[in-house]
Amino acid sequence: MSNESPNPNMKELWQCQTLEGIKMSTEEIRKRATKFERKIMWRNVREYVATAIAVALFVSFFITGHDSLFRLACALMIAGLAYMAYQLHHRASARSMPANLGATNSLQFHRTELERQLDFVRHIWRWYLGPMVPGLMAFSVASIVGGHNNPWRAALVNSLFALCLILVWRLNAYEARCLERRIDELAKVAAD
Amino acid sequence: MSHIAAITAQSSSQDNLYQQTAETYGSAIERLARAYEANPDARRDLVQDIHIALWRSFAGFDQRCSLRTWIYRVAHNAATSYVIKQRRARSQALVGLEELENLSDANSGQQVADRDRALDQLLNLIQQLKPLDRQVILSYLEGLDAASIGEITGLSPGNVATKIHRIKSILTRRFHAGGQDEQ
Repeated sequence: MSNESPNPNMKELWQCQTLEGIKMSTEEIRKRATKFERKIMWRNVREYVATAIAVALFVSFFITGHDSLFRLACALMIAGLAYMAYQLHHRASARSMPANLGATNSLQFHRTELERQLDFVRHIWRWYLGPMVPGLMAFSVASIVGGHNNPWRAALVNSLFALCLILVWRLNAYEARCLERRIDELAKVAAD
Repeated sequence: MSHIAAITAQSSSQDNLYQQTAETYGSAIERLARAYEANPDARRDLVQDIHIALWRSFAGFDQRCSLRTWIYRVAHNAATSYVIKQRRARSQALVGLEELENLSDANSGQQVADRDRALDQLLNLIQQLKPLDRQVILSYLEGLDAASIGEITGLSPGNVATKIHRIKSILTRRFHAGGQDEQ
């Protein structure tokens, strides 16, 4: 097929535009690549430290708590957080750009990236929100049974928690639908 | 060859390939980044990210495709990854060539008197496009043939032909009518 253009000057206009002439030495590239990897490593470390702090807090509650239901809630929260941290590491930890970018054509690459994001948001209930629910429910039951809280106040707090969970879930469901649409568009283009 | 010697040889070949690429394709990479990011500071970062992605990728360059195809794939894929991230942050709505072809344009048919304005309009048009269509128009403007565009993007030859036809039609409609760029 001929790719000759009726707009030869558009190509010329494009190719002759004034540029900054950004250049990087291999030494500079190495330094920046190392810096970038380090930045990603620290971002992951920050996520794990935040989870570790939350776990440590619940462990301390577990040790100092006297109410068995309260201690059960703490144990469930610890288990939930540990599961969530594992899944976060497995599925969604910050990562550097894949090294084999040149082996994949743009269509495949774009689709894979969108599918990775879709997997992340579509199963958020299973690995991010869900694991917290047993612990939160156990805390609610513990506070009502233990009589530490006014039942109305407890109901209000629980409703707010539930509302937050539902909101995060719905936002992710919406994002998943948008991603699905974009993946379908790419699949259609690939099939043409 | 010892393991260390093999690594040194690989690293040296990676550096050589990178230097060769930066020399030959440096300007094309900068133009490509211009089509993906309007902000000059962010664009400089994007250019550097593409350079790093290229350097890293050469460690795995297996010559199954031409060096040029490899370079454009890496550059476009790195830029696409950037667009996906930015799109979430800016929630910018991107359009396809088909939609762009049907959109009425206020500047359509107007004479584009100077090159800078014409280039700004062209960039503005490209930046509205979805990544795949953006890659086709950029490859077209870089002077790549349909077969190479297909190899880089993964689109079928028929699809590339249709998209190029649309690109020509859009460019003619928007930059024609006696502008100096079309003479």
